[in-house]
Amino acid sequence: MKIAISGKGGSGKTTISATLTRILARRGIPVLAIDGDPNPNLSLALGLSDSANTAAMPRSVVERREDESGKTSMVLTDSIENIIERYGLKAADGVTVLTGCRVEHSGAG
Amino acid sequence: MRSVIGEIVGGTNEVTVLDMEASIEHLSRGTIRHVDVLLVVLEPYYRSMETAGRTVPLARDLGIGRIFGIANKLRTPQDEEAVRSYCANHDLELIAAIPFDESVVEADRTARAVIDYDANSAIVGELSKVADFLMPGKAKQGGM
Ligand SMILES: Nc1ncnc2c1ncn2[C@@H]1O[C@H](COP(=O)(O)OP(=O)(O)O)[C@@H](O)[C@H]1O
Ligand SMILES: [Mg+2]
Repeated sequence: MKIAISGKGGSGKTTISATLTRILARRGIPVLAIDGDPNPNLSLALGLSDSANTAAMPRSVVERREDESGKTSMVLTDSIENIIERYGLKAADGVTVLTGCRVEHSGAG
Repeated sequence: MRSVIGEIVGGTNEVTVLDMEASIEHLSRGTIRHVDVLLVVLEPYYRSMETAGRTVPLARDLGIGRIFGIANKLRTPQDEEAVRSYCANHDLELIAAIPFDESVVEADRTARAVIDYDANSAIVGELSKVADFLMPGKAKQGGM
């Protein structure tokens, strides 16, 4: 099940995402939590204090490819499993958290 | 970078929780395609509820099947009533009403997860019900 949390800035998305994640994890469900905010703070809300700012995926996890017709698209340079393995952080209760790259400008991905 | 998130959300994990930037306008179609459940957070004031209200038809148009509201930071019965009536008028099913919770403030202050600070806090209780609702097969017996 893929659950997305939306709402106005400051409404409590990150607090709710982190808390729901930990509750599900305590029920024995392996949960992957993804921080999709360009100013990431989900790992902190999950209880990971130190590593909160160090683990963002680098931009090199995607690259622009061009097909024969000249159409470009962004593709992953590694498997999803490897990306999670490499950049995912382990939080309490068996949660894995993945922090998206900080976005330098919109339209970048 | 949105495309990466889309791919990863589309991966095989049993449950994925995506904490978004704000509204679904910030998600690529590639990401939205994989989303089963959208939880829309509403605070009891007009601009917050309006943001949520705009999201709902957009999310429906994009084909997200299950869309639910979660009221947050409620301080009074009037707050709760305001969110309830907004949701009723905007065809949004409200599945949780979380009070303004000092545990969240205190957990934040000490850089802890609120569930570690107080597993019996109101927010944990309310979101446990959300977990029961979304994944009934995994409902926890007894307290959190
Ligand atoms: N139920 C609540 N009670 C008290 N404070 C809350 C509650 N939910 C969120 N907050 C506080 O509101 C602020 C914004 O929350 P956050 O989860 O970061 O929102 P968002 O991710 O939507 O920007 C934080 O300081 C957080 O501690
Ligand atoms: Mg946030």
